[in-house]
Amino acid sequence: MSRDITFGQFYPANSFVHKMDPRAKLVLVIAYIVAVFLVKSLYSYIAIAVFLIAAVLGSRVPVKSVLKSVRGILVIVILTAILNIFFFSGGERVLFSWWKIKITVEALLFALHMALRLIFLVIGTTLLTLTTTPINLTDGMESLMSPLKLIKVPVHDLAIIMSIALRFIPILIEEVDKIMLAQKARGADFESGGLIKRAKALLPVLIPLFISAFRRADELALALDARCYNATPKRTKYKVLKLGWRDAVGVIILAILIAAIAAVNASFWGLFGFSFGV
Amino acid sequence: MSVEIKNLSYTYSVGSPFQKDALHGISVTINEGEMVGIIGSTGSGKSTLVQHINGLIKLTSGSIKVYDIDLTAKKPDLKRLRSMVGMLFQYPEYQLFEETVLKDVAFGPMNFGATKEEALAAAEEAIRLVGLDFDEVKDKSPFELSGGEKRRAAIAGVIASKPKILVLDEPTAGLDPIGKREILNLILSLKKAFVKTVIMISHNMDEIAEFCGRVLVLSEGRLIADCTPAELFEKEYSLEGTGLTLPHTVNIKRLLGQKGLSLKGDTLSAPALADAIAEALRRRV
Repeated sequence: MSRDITFGQFYPANSFVHKMDPRAKLVLVIAYIVAVFLVKSLYSYIAIAVFLIAAVLGSRVPVKSVLKSVRGILVIVILTAILNIFFFSGGERVLFSWWKIKITVEALLFALHMALRLIFLVIGTTLLTLTTTPINLTDGMESLMSPLKLIKVPVHDLAIIMSIALRFIPILIEEVDKIMLAQKARGADFESGGLIKRAKALLPVLIPLFISAFRRADELALALDARCYNATPKRTKYKVLKLGWRDAVGVIILAILIAAIAAVNASFWGLFGFSFGV
Repeated sequence: MSVEIKNLSYTYSVGSPFQKDALHGISVTINEGEMVGIIGSTGSGKSTLVQHINGLIKLTSGSIKVYDIDLTAKKPDLKRLRSMVGMLFQYPEYQLFEETVLKDVAFGPMNFGATKEEALAAAEEAIRLVGLDFDEVKDKSPFELSGGEKRRAAIAGVIASKPKILVLDEPTAGLDPIGKREILNLILSLKKAFVKTVIMISHNMDEIAEFCGRVLVLSEGRLIADCTPAELFEKEYSLEGTGLTLPHTVNIKRLLGQKGLSLKGDTLSAPALADAIAEALRRRV
């Protein structure tokens, strides 16, 4: 049921990647995305793949859970690839041509290139959310965005809003499950009927859910007030983020990866003239 | 018999890091007319067990039969099962959603295939049965009711389809003492009407001791006792390690015993205990 939403959900484990500083992970993911976009040759993808496999192994998250995230965007990947095959212009080696449609080797390679790029992007970013608790993630973001405080951006408020929102997702999912059970016990049927009938069947779940969400928001606001919570600038942290050797290792590995990609790009362009033509 | 459970086991989230064994080989038969209490600490599997009876959790191992409906069948008739087994969840007031109390209570019967007239008639009967003023509440929004009234309305919504078995998950949680007593008396009066069998989860030992003729104790997904409340609370060792406490009446009897006042006969309910104390004191004088 609704519990099956695993896309990007935290996966508890005691691993190298889990123990890294969230700030380092955030920066690394951004650098990784840049690296993926730098790739121009198929060989570089091998380097990225090796890096990803190492990262997944280092995170001790089962490969199945990581791949689940790809399953969610498979349709988009396939659609992108197909569109690219048909709309790629400028290829020379024609494989197939009929009326105005022309498929070239270059187009096929380009489509593969885009598909790989998307898949690698999603796996990389999913690994971040799989190995970092929402709290750590928002802490990391807050810390990274703290220079914005100088121009009066309420960074801490934004961070607390985000962590509350993230924290409430599982609570509300649980609530949905509970209300659904109660209405099922009263004979409600969520599984059969056409689209309109199914949408209507959700009403007995949505109304109590909204009421309960507002009640929870109210209670949380009261609880925050009762503890005199306010976003003063001099708040200290219970868990202070600390960069460690693991983060250094991660940064070095990713730096090598980017350097390798850059080198491959340069050499293959110059020496062999092999590229996707992008 | 009305419910027959054989060798029921259940595991949540198989194959994920959140995997959790909830039930281990539970076998129990509940006869028509019984009032059964289920006790056990949080996470002992009580809710999982009762949700199986209503087909809300798909049977994965073992067998369950509710009257003539066999849940091991490929496609058991869940609608008929759920119309026969009324299920009241914890804090049931959060299931209210309709514009008016009458419509909300009629939701169940409508789902179970009654016509609009039949459903409204059943709803009216249910609202009156739970002790709400029908003419006053029928057109009110359920969200305008007070806490205790909301719970009554929710109970009406469950019994409107005239279930033979009523399953209650902590029906008195969060109510004040008077509200608790009223709900328990309501359950007793429902049992005199059309509900034949009552299965009640409770953390309140006093309620179990007073109202239930039979008690099932769950601990870590296993059924560790199935007896009368008197038998259960007599044995001092029986609740050890389950995180459960004794009812006040049993504690009072023990303390009096230590002070040299031994009580005779049934002392489980508060009135019975009072009588027994009076009796013992009279003997002493």
